[in-house]
Amino acid sequence: MKRHLLSATLAGLVAATPALAHYGMIIPSDPMVSQEDGRSVGLTMSFSHPFEMDGMMLDRPVAFSVTHEGETTDLLGSLQEATVMDDAGFTLDYPLERPGTYIFAMEPQPYWEPAEDAFIIHYTKTYVTAYGDDEGWDTELGLKTEIVPLSKPFGLWEGNVFQGIVKMDGEAVPYAEVEVEFLNDTAGATAPDELMITQTVKADENGVFTYAPPSEGWWGFAALNTADYTLPQEGEDKAVELGAVIWVHFEGWTGQ
Amino acid sequence: MIRAAALAALLSAAPIGAAAHQLVVFASVDCETVLVEAKFSSGRVAQQGEVRVLDGQNTLLTTLPLAEDGTARIPLESLDYSGGLMIEVDTGGHDNYWILTPEDIARKCGS
Repeated sequence: MKRHLLSATLAGLVAATPALAHYGMIIPSDPMVSQEDGRSVGLTMSFSHPFEMDGMMLDRPVAFSVTHEGETTDLLGSLQEATVMDDAGFTLDYPLERPGTYIFAMEPQPYWEPAEDAFIIHYTKTYVTAYGDDEGWDTELGLKTEIVPLSKPFGLWEGNVFQGIVKMDGEAVPYAEVEVEFLNDTAGATAPDELMITQTVKADENGVFTYAPPSEGWWGFAALNTADYTLPQEGEDKAVELGAVIWVHFEGWTGQ
Repeated sequence: MIRAAALAALLSAAPIGAAAHQLVVFASVDCETVLVEAKFSSGRVAQQGEVRVLDGQNTLLTTLPLAEDGTARIPLESLDYSGGLMIEVDTGGHDNYWILTPEDIARKCGS
């Protein structure tokens, strides 16, 4: 009987394992659109656990925009409701009128996470290059918090390092913690330990972090910091986790 | 079907883009003019070069020089664009192309 109780207790503990990492997600149909690919790019937006392919509800964002050649365009009204990973998300088919780098960015509504007793706001972005022109790949959008790429955020081989600067209010964040997770949509990757679902690196004193993924596919980088403000929840002030998220695609190496 | 075949012919004849220090070629239409733009991957415009315009059957329609600002303008009415247009730019050391499909042109002409 005692053993049964112990087993039940352990099962309860396992069920209460800390939540997997949440990620705001913008996943393009193609990060490098050539003229032979067509004249538009499809985008899928969600709030999910990408390695586990476990969706959560993404309410209509506060902001959704594209920046190209220094001009930012509001696309919030163009988002189409969709089901992503069995939960609420959005899609958008965006015409690419000219060459260059298009940066899509989303500010979601604050997400109340009872398990963390905090709100989560992930400022999420991804970079798409059109028609062979990569100009603008290092664009900083000036988001509340943001990962500014030091590596071109497309056209990377698997195993290449990705480097970026974590910024908050335009300033580098020394020793910022960056969580890294793989979008496990087709690879069927398994983790020998839960600790390997979300990997973690820290930035250096200049806010610069480095990571080399082991495989091709979409990899999400989320630099997490606590906001200098709180939000009310049932009459109490609660902390706000601000995430600077960037999604980067790595291509499979084609050599022997 | 004819348009598809024409586009396939354009694609099969397309020159292979140069590698490092790539030339980026883009062309757009406003229903009156074909605007050709050429620049290098460094961001600098191509200040000289030859622009060749071919039709959907890969027949050369016209050639003209690239202006110093890296552009060239061709009146659309002077071209048979029913099968699309292939715009080639050759700067001597680099070349690349842009294909204006019949759909590209129709979209801008509102037809």
